[in-house]
Amino acid sequence: MTRALPRTAPEDGGAPRRPSIERAPRRGSRGVTAHSLAGMLFVLPFFLVVVAFLVVPLGFALYLSFFTKSLVLGSRFSGLDGYVRAFTDPLLLDGFLRVLLFGAVQIPIMLGIALAGALALDAITTRFAVLYRLFAFMPYAVPAVIGALMWGFLYSKTFGPFSGVTSLFGGDPVDFFGGPLLLVSLGNIVTWAWTGYNMIVMYSALQGVPREMYEAAVLDGASPVQIALRVKVPAIRQAISLAAIFTVIGTMQFFTEPQIMARFAPQISAGYTPNLYAYNQAFAYSNFNYSATISFTLGFVVFVVAYAFVFVSRRRGAGS
Amino acid sequence: MPGATRLRRIASALVVGSVLAVAACSGGDGATDGTGADGKPAHVSVWAWYPEFKGVVDAFNASHTDVQIDWTNVGTGPDQYAKLKTAFTAGTGAPDVAMVEFQEIPTFVILEALVDMGEYGANDDKDLYAEWAWSQATDGRKVYAIPVDGGPMALMYRKDLFDQFRIPVPKTWTEYADAAVKIKAADPNAYIASFGSDGGWINGLMWQAGCRPYGYSQAEAKDKVKINLTSPECKKVFDLYGGLVDKGLMAKDPFFTADATAALDSGKYWTWAAAGWTPGYVAGSLKNTAGKWAVAPMPQWTAGADDQGDWGGSTFAVTKQAKNPKAATLVARELFGASKAAWDIGLNKAFLYPLVKNVAADPAFTGKAYDFFAGQKVNEIFVPVSEKLGEFQYTPFQDFVFQNLNDRSAEAMSGSRPWSSVLEETQKNVVTYAQQQGFTVTQ
Repeated sequence: MTRALPRTAPEDGGAPRRPSIERAPRRGSRGVTAHSLAGMLFVLPFFLVVVAFLVVPLGFALYLSFFTKSLVLGSRFSGLDGYVRAFTDPLLLDGFLRVLLFGAVQIPIMLGIALAGALALDAITTRFAVLYRLFAFMPYAVPAVIGALMWGFLYSKTFGPFSGVTSLFGGDPVDFFGGPLLLVSLGNIVTWAWTGYNMIVMYSALQGVPREMYEAAVLDGASPVQIALRVKVPAIRQAISLAAIFTVIGTMQFFTEPQIMARFAPQISAGYTPNLYAYNQAFAYSNFNYSATISFTLGFVVFVVAYAFVFVSRRRGAGS
Repeated sequence: MPGATRLRRIASALVVGSVLAVAACSGGDGATDGTGADGKPAHVSVWAWYPEFKGVVDAFNASHTDVQIDWTNVGTGPDQYAKLKTAFTAGTGAPDVAMVEFQEIPTFVILEALVDMGEYGANDDKDLYAEWAWSQATDGRKVYAIPVDGGPMALMYRKDLFDQFRIPVPKTWTEYADAAVKIKAADPNAYIASFGSDGGWINGLMWQAGCRPYGYSQAEAKDKVKINLTSPECKKVFDLYGGLVDKGLMAKDPFFTADATAALDSGKYWTWAAAGWTPGYVAGSLKNTAGKWAVAPMPQWTAGADDQGDWGGSTFAVTKQAKNPKAATLVARELFGASKAAWDIGLNKAFLYPLVKNVAADPAFTGKAYDFFAGQKVNEIFVPVSEKLGEFQYTPFQDFVFQNLNDRSAEAMSGSRPWSSVLEETQKNVVTYAQQQGFTVTQ
């Protein structure tokens, strides 16, 4: 129930959409009845899975969110009271603000590095590129829990390699688990885990760009940097915005890293991120109804933010 | 089966007589309860989280023919509770018997998740256990849990360093604060201890200070709860520790992390207000400083007083989903209650502080010399503490309270909140929460 949302985060994968697909010829619309029946049969298994694992749980979570269960009075219908409470809950609002701040800094950095990496990969044609691609992708293969634990040790004041660096200059060990650095430490873990993944998405899109465009640009006298920025980047705009949207949604659902790091960092409170708050309400405080409400509120906010992002990026895309 | 009950009672009486005698007769113990009517043993599923528990289960299964335990480790404390609460909400999926810490009992009671073991004769065990533990696990005649281990608190300190720098071992908290200054002067990188961000630890310190912030009794009133975290007895704990943290005399590492363990083992921390289970715990993890530690009674708030607190401790409770509550009750009562084999493992491998009076009073336990403490018989300190522990109650939503204490303390440690407001803010949040849950709150 903590994930009332469809799991659209990048971890669910899905091949990067290539721009060229759009240009594929569409099938004619005549004589389709037999075809559409066969098509429906093909879709049926997917449809059943969607109903069983998405629609029904979502509906149940929505149903739960309209009730309030108290320890003393039991369960009662409370309509939208839970939502009123959620939108005025300072802990939840703090969590939202924190995640927005986190995303505003972390997402551009991560996608910027990923784009630079993809362009570099596209430019080098040696066998080294394959190896590099593999290495870049590797953190994504490490489960998020293991990654967070691993970084927990790397950040350690006693055992971590970074504490040794500062003590070389006579400084105190850096406190990665507290104060202003905490959010940066978390951002670093997320960036480490997801940059390679996004890089591969963008790199794959680059592979689909017709080479003739580059030749034309060379003939026009464009430098490699100009080709990268003026030809390649616009050509894979859709892949970039796809990666961005997955990242925005994933960030709003920020959960695993703070949950694991809370063992090392007392400052990660019960409501540090909205998803963590929903988890704690359900599984620590037995407040399953309010947890469902938070999840739905979170889903609504993700929807609004994602839609706004698509809207803005489309307009900017059309404008340029 | 009244006959069987009487037999069990006799068996318990024998058990009370001598722990050693139990070991001798435990082989025949299994025949006393006719739980497996069709000749097959009744299977009871148990959730518990320490790895050494395997030996305890094996010992139980070996000594019982008609009841057998199926043990699962689903994760430590919070992980297990999350799964239990989900199972209780779902109405299915809970084990027959679950390991439950004392502070969680009222929570599970109000969720109507626990069986009253009194119906299956568990009231007979009252005299077996330390009084404070029994009163927390029961409510009048209803027995919700069988105590296993506790955590009477005492002060662990680096005897070698205290001797070397001629710092007197603090007998009062005022002397403790003085010692903190002297330790900083002796070694700028050292701290007297760490503020560990552990709700149970903070709770133990408050208990010792005479702070009784919670009051709840299902027997008296289901919907009334007392919450008073702002009494002077409670506040003085936060004033002392907050002051030490603010002055940089106390570190901020959370307990049980690699950093905190390394700090204990390297001379960075000189003391730890620890519990009866710590001797075993630290002996396993602090190799460098083994033999340099000693245990002293907790510093007192009033010179010459003898006030004590507890940190941690667990019980076994039977859930409402148990298929065979009678067999499950037998398991909860006998897992540790009567078994020397179980306590051999519990004391020497799982490092439990026994709440079975006979085991705690046994010279084999009180007289045990610990190499880690340079041969000191530390249980001579812990046992009187456990006997001195008075009444202490918890709320039926203790997870929420501990989380708030931790979160607000963390804010104080990061400087975004004055220490003096930690308890006020927690009080405010908890009262609001309790009222939302339908409780009438008294202070």
